[in-house]
Amino acid sequence: MKKFPLKWPLVGSAAFFASLMFIVPLYGATVYSFKGNGGKGHSWANYQWLIHQDGFYPALFTSLKLAVLAAALNLVLMVPTMVFLNLKGKRYKSLVDFLCILPLIIPVVSLAIGAQVAMPKFLQNTQYELVFFFVIIALPYTYRALDTSLQTVALKTLVEASRSLGASWASTIIRVIVPAIRSGITGALFLTFALSIGEYTITSLLHWETFPTWTVVAGQQNILGAIAISVFSFVGAIALLSIIALLPKRNAERVEVEE
Amino acid sequence: MSKEAREGATLELKGVSRHFGSVKALDGLDITVHPGELVALLGPSGCGKTTALRIVAGLEVATSGELLVNGERYNETPANHRDMGMVFQSYSLFPNLTVSENIDYGLRVRKIDSDKRHKRVDEMLELVSLESKGQSYPHQLSGGQQQRVALARALAIQPRVLLLDEPLSALDAQVRGQIREEIRRIQLDLGITTLFVTHDQEEAMAISDRVGVMSHGRLEQIDKPIVLYNSPATSFVASFVGLANRIPAEITAKGKARVLNQKVNILDSAAPFAEGAKVNVIIRPESLELVSESDLDATRGIVALKSFLGPMTKVGIAVEGAPLIHLNVSSREVRKLEIGDKVAFKISSDEVMAESV
Repeated sequence: MKKFPLKWPLVGSAAFFASLMFIVPLYGATVYSFKGNGGKGHSWANYQWLIHQDGFYPALFTSLKLAVLAAALNLVLMVPTMVFLNLKGKRYKSLVDFLCILPLIIPVVSLAIGAQVAMPKFLQNTQYELVFFFVIIALPYTYRALDTSLQTVALKTLVEASRSLGASWASTIIRVIVPAIRSGITGALFLTFALSIGEYTITSLLHWETFPTWTVVAGQQNILGAIAISVFSFVGAIALLSIIALLPKRNAERVEVEE
Repeated sequence: MSKEAREGATLELKGVSRHFGSVKALDGLDITVHPGELVALLGPSGCGKTTALRIVAGLEVATSGELLVNGERYNETPANHRDMGMVFQSYSLFPNLTVSENIDYGLRVRKIDSDKRHKRVDEMLELVSLESKGQSYPHQLSGGQQQRVALARALAIQPRVLLLDEPLSALDAQVRGQIREEIRRIQLDLGITTLFVTHDQEEAMAISDRVGVMSHGRLEQIDKPIVLYNSPATSFVASFVGLANRIPAEITAKGKARVLNQKVNILDSAAPFAEGAKVNVIIRPESLELVSESDLDATRGIVALKSFLGPMTKVGIAVEGAPLIHLNVSSREVRKLEIGDKVAFKISSDEVMAESV
């Protein structure tokens, strides 16, 4: 079939305008975050104001702590589950897929209240209950990231090879499967971390203070400071995720060898 | 390579069955593999040979029957405690580990000390002639090299039994021939008991001490390759092992038949055929020979096919009232033969096998 000659210019233009929608507001926010007092000149004043605000460090630390815990818990729960589903539980996959989509369908208020009631007593009324909420809201994304990754590896053969060499299930998952689906795990980690660190609704409903809820309150006092907070959050999240993504990869270079 | 492998173990399957719902994948399989022996399980797809191997490896559970290694029951032993090395059909190397690390994997799991592990890995690399590839990753190796590493990895743990699940089927013909000879050399060198599953009869015949032919979950016959070929126990074995002509015939007397107007003796059968019964006789291509057209006892036909196979040529002869008859003839002998030529041939075998129509 003859190729449509205007395909690439059209795709390129669409991508360019779409990126403008993202880049222009970000550029504007960054410029404004450096405005001096009274909106004149450029300075670090808004960022200095931000880091000297009461509650900045505790809120940031709480968010980072909960996001790390949520990402870790998510992986501990989901990697073995997804391995089981892809190896031996294929008949349950559609059910689990449906269950994992529920957090996107159930209204956040119902989810927050309902799940809190169902939470074990020792977790209720501690900030760690948020970790479980973060895991739940990240489920739809984690499920897909891990599932896609697992479909690209010869899971059954790798597991059987590892088991026949004497490895236990735990050892097989840690030494063979996790490295083989590294990209999926990194993706799941990114998504859970990003969703957790930016989560506002549930945290606010349950009256906990994390970085997003602190931001809303602090930003009401200083509009340029609020913009600085947004830019800081964005750049911080990108930087953290980039560090994880750029961790040294083994086996990165692909070389084809002829028989 | 030092002969550090354990003494070969005796592997026994006694009445092993595996049912998937109403489907009998394996139906009362009885096999004994003697220490240091290489036994191949040969059969078409779905005959149960891979299921049998997976039961031995502990990757599948037998519905009934017993699996014994050196007389010890292994049915309930988990796969990771069976001490069996396995090479898979598809490339099964761990992609995130180098060749050396792959070979080291089973040793590391067993918590063997570092010096011994390094020594063992080096020995294995030497065994499979991949000394220079220790630091390469699997994707940097060819298919043949990957299977050699898989073999080294399986052997590194000094397994009681080596299990080969169609390890050559993903390789091209030339490499397949090389690797199968390498497998046999290493197996003989180490004296390791080996169970080898394949659907390629040439592969099975070439390197096995004995070959078990399977069909529909049952073992049809297990014997030395030459016995299977020359004295097949069933018509399935006769037709599956080697090329065979199935030609309509009529029983003329007890143990005798007439086929293509020639008289032949029928091999002893469990259920003798009645006089006048219509049967098919099974005749190997090399049991037929071209003769002079003046031979009055010969069968006449027309050359319909000529396939050059190197020193031999496969000739297909169209005969009235019979399917295309295949002969293996020396390529020199049929140099001048063309498609459409009239020829005559005779059955040279003393006895042939017959089956009911």
